[in-house]
Amino acid sequence: MMPAHKIAFRFDGQPVVAMEGESIAAALLRHGIVGFRIAVDGESLRGPYCGMGICFDCRVQVSGPNRPRLMVRSCITPVAEGMDVRSVPYPELNNV
Amino acid sequence: MNYAAVIIGGGLVGAATAYYLTRAGCDVALIEQGQINNGASGQNAGSLHFQMEHRLIEHGDALAELAATIMPLSLDAIERWGAIETELDQGDLDIVMHGGLMLAETAEHQQKLERKRRLEERWKLPTRLVDESELRAMAPYLSGAVTAASFCPVEGHGNARLVTTALIRAALATGKFTLRTQCVVRETRRQGQSWLVRCREVEGGEEEFSADTVLNAAGAWAADVAALADLHLPVFPVALTMNATEAAPRFIGHLIQHVGRRLSMKQLHEGNVLLGGGWSARMVRKGMYFERNARPEFKLESIRGNISVALDIVPALQGLHLLRSWTGMVGITSDSLPIVGEVPQAPGYFVAAGGSAFTLGLTYGAMVAQLMTRRETDLDISLFSPARFGPLNMFMGR
Repeated sequence: MMPAHKIAFRFDGQPVVAMEGESIAAALLRHGIVGFRIAVDGESLRGPYCGMGICFDCRVQVSGPNRPRLMVRSCITPVAEGMDVRSVPYPELNNV
Repeated sequence: MNYAAVIIGGGLVGAATAYYLTRAGCDVALIEQGQINNGASGQNAGSLHFQMEHRLIEHGDALAELAATIMPLSLDAIERWGAIETELDQGDLDIVMHGGLMLAETAEHQQKLERKRRLEERWKLPTRLVDESELRAMAPYLSGAVTAASFCPVEGHGNARLVTTALIRAALATGKFTLRTQCVVRETRRQGQSWLVRCREVEGGEEEFSADTVLNAAGAWAADVAALADLHLPVFPVALTMNATEAAPRFIGHLIQHVGRRLSMKQLHEGNVLLGGGWSARMVRKGMYFERNARPEFKLESIRGNISVALDIVPALQGLHLLRSWTGMVGITSDSLPIVGEVPQAPGYFVAAGGSAFTLGLTYGAMVAQLMTRRETDLDISLFSPARFGPLNMFMGR
């Protein structure tokens, strides 16, 4: 069997090495990153919950050499070389 | 075994009827083609809206007067939604009645609000007009473009995912309830003094139920289910779009509707904001027929339109991501009024469909159960009887 091809990307600026074909969520979890963003209570962390694209709890923002910044479900989005993955910022409500 | 009733359709209306009937001591069977809540009950945004809707006052005074006749049902529904959580005693069912605002921006909108309020006052629905300064204090999250509103203190939202299943559990607990899901009705006909309903489980065999009465509570499928009994029923499937944002700190404390624009908005306990208000989706067509069993397709302009109205009204939504959008199908009647009652041309065949079947779902169920068990109802619902479509069924039946 051929060894899996390695892919480098970043999560909130920190370099992460993933296997080709791996989802963003799987790669982050393998690196011990379980909190992907701040929950609505402003304190606790949220990460993958359903792991199959239903709950949206694992959402992250992704941009890359050839892709605009988009919110994706990290559990069903494969990693790509040079991806810039960032936490979805805590929702900002102006004037309320 | 002979049942008191076979209910076709496992949404809120079917489940509520099963609950009230089994509680009255009747043996009931319920047949659902998919799973509980698969249709509009599980797809709608769960508004408990008692004020007259935009779509009901949009088509002239005569139709608005007619639409206002549902208000006794609304008053009954207010009582039932307020009591059901305690009555079922199955914990938190996510029913919130913290008040609802129907908004106006222009002078024309304000006139509509006033016309609506006069109708509601006549029927004793608890609503009152709120002026701009009071509105700012009540709902600081609203845009400055909103100039007035009418407030109904008992509006809010419910969660059919919890309510329908709690009703089903309560019916099962009586020991008098037979539930069949993934089971499609193939035939509905008179057999002597009873009705015979033959159905087929998706992965299983055929089964026959004999019953004194049948209830068609099939929502968007009501016309097709009626056809199985050789009846015409003017209930039409309509496809709608709903949107949900990511969770945010609680800041919207009311059910929000608009008197002149398509908007319903509420923030759930978890913090997500649900947006709807009658934005259409595209029904899948197969040849010259609408495909009832396919998820309606998105219209991008509906998603954009819904968000654009919502942003005009609550500018702070700008800071939230849209998390998901979904489509659903609901059954509406040709005159917007509910169809609740017995079909005169088919004694023992009852219908509960159309109208605001989520908000009024418990009430439909209670009325049908009363009709089936004692031939009369606490409320006068004769206006909503399928008898008004009598001409359609003069030549039907076998």
